[in-house]
Amino acid sequence: MEALNNLMYGFGIALEPMNIAYVFFGVFAGTIIGMLPGLGPISALALMIPITFAMEPSSGLILMAGVYYGAIFGGSTSSILLNAPGVAGTVATSFDGYPMAKQGMAGKALAIAAYASFIGGTISIVFLMLVAPLLSKVAVSFGPAEYFALMVLGLTAVVSLSDKSLVKGLIAAVVGVMISIMGIDLQTGTERFTFGSAHLLDGIDFLVVALGIFALAEVFVMLLRGGGGKEQPRNAIGSLRLTRGEVKEIAGPIGRSSVLGFFTGVLPGAGATIGSFLGYSMEKRLAKDGDTFGKGNIKGVAAPESANNAACTGSFVPLLTLGVPGSGTTAVLLGALLVMGVTPGPMMLEQRPDVFWGVIASMYIGNIFLLVLNLPLIPLIARILDLPRPLLLSLILIFCMIGVYGMSFSVFDLLLLLGFGLLGLGMRLFGFPAAPLILALILGNIMEESMRRALQISGGDWMIFVEKPISLVLLVIALLSLALPLARKALQRALA
Amino acid sequence: MTVKTTRLAALVLPIAALAGLSGAAQAEEWTPTRNIEFIAPANPGGGWDTLVRTTSRVIQEEGLAERSFAAINVPGGGGAVAWAQIARDSGNPHKLFATSPPIILVPLAGTSRYDHTDFTPIARLITDYSIVLVPADSEYQDLNDLFAALEADPGLSVGGGSAPGSMDHISIAGLASAAGLNAAEVNYIPFSGGGEAMTSLMGGHVEAVITGAGEAAGQLGEGSQLRALGVSAPERMGGPLAEVPTYQEQGIDYTFDIWRGVMGTPDMPAEAVAYYEDLFARMLETDGWQQARDQLGWLDAYQDSEAFGDFLDAQQAQFSGVLGDLGLLGD
Repeated sequence: MEALNNLMYGFGIALEPMNIAYVFFGVFAGTIIGMLPGLGPISALALMIPITFAMEPSSGLILMAGVYYGAIFGGSTSSILLNAPGVAGTVATSFDGYPMAKQGMAGKALAIAAYASFIGGTISIVFLMLVAPLLSKVAVSFGPAEYFALMVLGLTAVVSLSDKSLVKGLIAAVVGVMISIMGIDLQTGTERFTFGSAHLLDGIDFLVVALGIFALAEVFVMLLRGGGGKEQPRNAIGSLRLTRGEVKEIAGPIGRSSVLGFFTGVLPGAGATIGSFLGYSMEKRLAKDGDTFGKGNIKGVAAPESANNAACTGSFVPLLTLGVPGSGTTAVLLGALLVMGVTPGPMMLEQRPDVFWGVIASMYIGNIFLLVLNLPLIPLIARILDLPRPLLLSLILIFCMIGVYGMSFSVFDLLLLLGFGLLGLGMRLFGFPAAPLILALILGNIMEESMRRALQISGGDWMIFVEKPISLVLLVIALLSLALPLARKALQRALA
Repeated sequence: MTVKTTRLAALVLPIAALAGLSGAAQAEEWTPTRNIEFIAPANPGGGWDTLVRTTSRVIQEEGLAERSFAAINVPGGGGAVAWAQIARDSGNPHKLFATSPPIILVPLAGTSRYDHTDFTPIARLITDYSIVLVPADSEYQDLNDLFAALEADPGLSVGGGSAPGSMDHISIAGLASAAGLNAAEVNYIPFSGGGEAMTSLMGGHVEAVITGAGEAAGQLGEGSQLRALGVSAPERMGGPLAEVPTYQEQGIDYTFDIWRGVMGTPDMPAEAVAYYEDLFARMLETDGWQQARDQLGWLDAYQDSEAFGDFLDAQQAQFSGVLGDLGLLGD
């Protein structure tokens, strides 16, 4: 009941005309920013700090939070239509979203993404409202050993992401880990794989690799196939409508991935990207038709999209209840709040309930705005696929280059993009799956850092990983998820 | 070759800057002829970025300069990518960058070809201090308790928000050696930010944490899960940190500044240096600045170009000593 009263109080703030306008402006700007690669939510929020400086803290946070989850919401569009993820959290969406678009179901893929984002967002706000203070305990219970175990569990998904050849999947994953550890090693300050170049000291940005291996490689593949624009189907958008059967099919994945995504988001440092990958691989393993994932399965769009939006809301838990940022984006939000004179943390609920509950209530409104804004836009945006192929290819090319250059203003990164495009092309030609590489790239670095940090704390004693209950449970699940499919295969072979 | 010449020039520069100052007061005053590029050598959101955006905003809002300051982020290499770019732009009076101890630490670790002597000091603006934190229910009541425990069991871990050999590590290593311990023996666990280190402390994964006092201020006070044992300031800080004793009060003679300031391109003309020195000095007096500064937990620590240059040289000597003790000096 108390939560309901608080929420009513929050709505009282969020429904003030000016605040409604801020939510609307925030999610609108966020959607656009999410669609365009390069201008990610971090830089967009940094640009907004001067605007919010003079605002009421609740209004400022309402606006900035809107930009953040709006960007994650809108990020799926370019993943689905162009195979070019604009935000890291939406890479997994392209695995099935882009094949769907190629099969003339772009409209449906975008609609599913919008519904899944909306539901994922809304479910996680309920969680945020009801259990945020309790969850702050969960967030701090994850130390280096637990993070390591979680990353190991995440990496087991390589098995399910390698469709034909497990060996090729593992090779791709190893390359991904190698790319992830490039740059200055945080533990010792040693340079690794930098080839003496200052540009590589911070490693390679995730988006450069993702855009190269997915979008640019796709452009190269289409160029190699040639054939002008003839086989491009007209009316490639298809219907936005979902059949009752399809709704039933995606309901489970959306529900599960929303919960999973929220909890991933709560953990500082994990966030939307890891949440979406975990959601995707979990659904692929649970689904009876798991082998059609990656070929345009609607569940493969629903799962990561609900997970990444839920994770985005989840990342507000450590920010609002502990006052520590869980990600780069929430670090900018924290800075902005401090400038506005609000100190997030354990005392915020008592000192500034207006900010806390106002933002939570505004998120409900913002998610409805996003759905209402995005659905009618789908047919318009999806018409991009009606472009003649030469134009479409050039568009993807420009899109990728602006995305990479806009992030770092570095020509060196453009060359890297080209290199990863060629790598992606080679992988496609020789049947290496790209998803394990990307997954390993995201998880590898955190896994290694957490492992070494844990061992440094324990004085080199490996037992730390099994002495901690959370870590032990996660490692056992990881082991089971590897062993069970193998055991099943062996059993089938023995019976046959 | 270019490196050598600029180093020489940097020696001459402070004198030139002085001459410029007196000259500027009399006759031809230099003013910028186009917008000024103000570079944060890192991604948005960090300390440099906040400094660049805050000062640019205050200068514009208070109408202190005819031209506007454009905030530009050049991330990479802990600053090294931006420094390499700026070093190529010798003499350009329209390019400034935000700076802090990494301009000394990163070159000492051997990962930047350029160091502070390659650039023109403009002004030191603010400072923050280090703070040592433990969980609220920890048995350690003061720093001496903590160091006694660390001496008895060198395996006890102290978390920090930056890599080995960078600010937090240097700060705790220097403190440990002032307290009579062997600096290299502190089991320093680097996290990728003060926030992450503090979260880890709340979960009891490390024994203590060292981070920036400004960053920790929000975590202290009533109902907090963390407790502060000491700050590296020469005297007590204000606001929520007023209760926290200094290291010196606890009998450990050691202070550590996390200063931030502004530098310019190599060989920046003396008239331009004088112009910016004066501009930043005036900015520090404005209400807009004082309000932003208090909210961000910064303390004014202005030094003009010459004093800042001397200060940087002294810092380099001090840091290379600590890094040498830790075995982290690069080649």
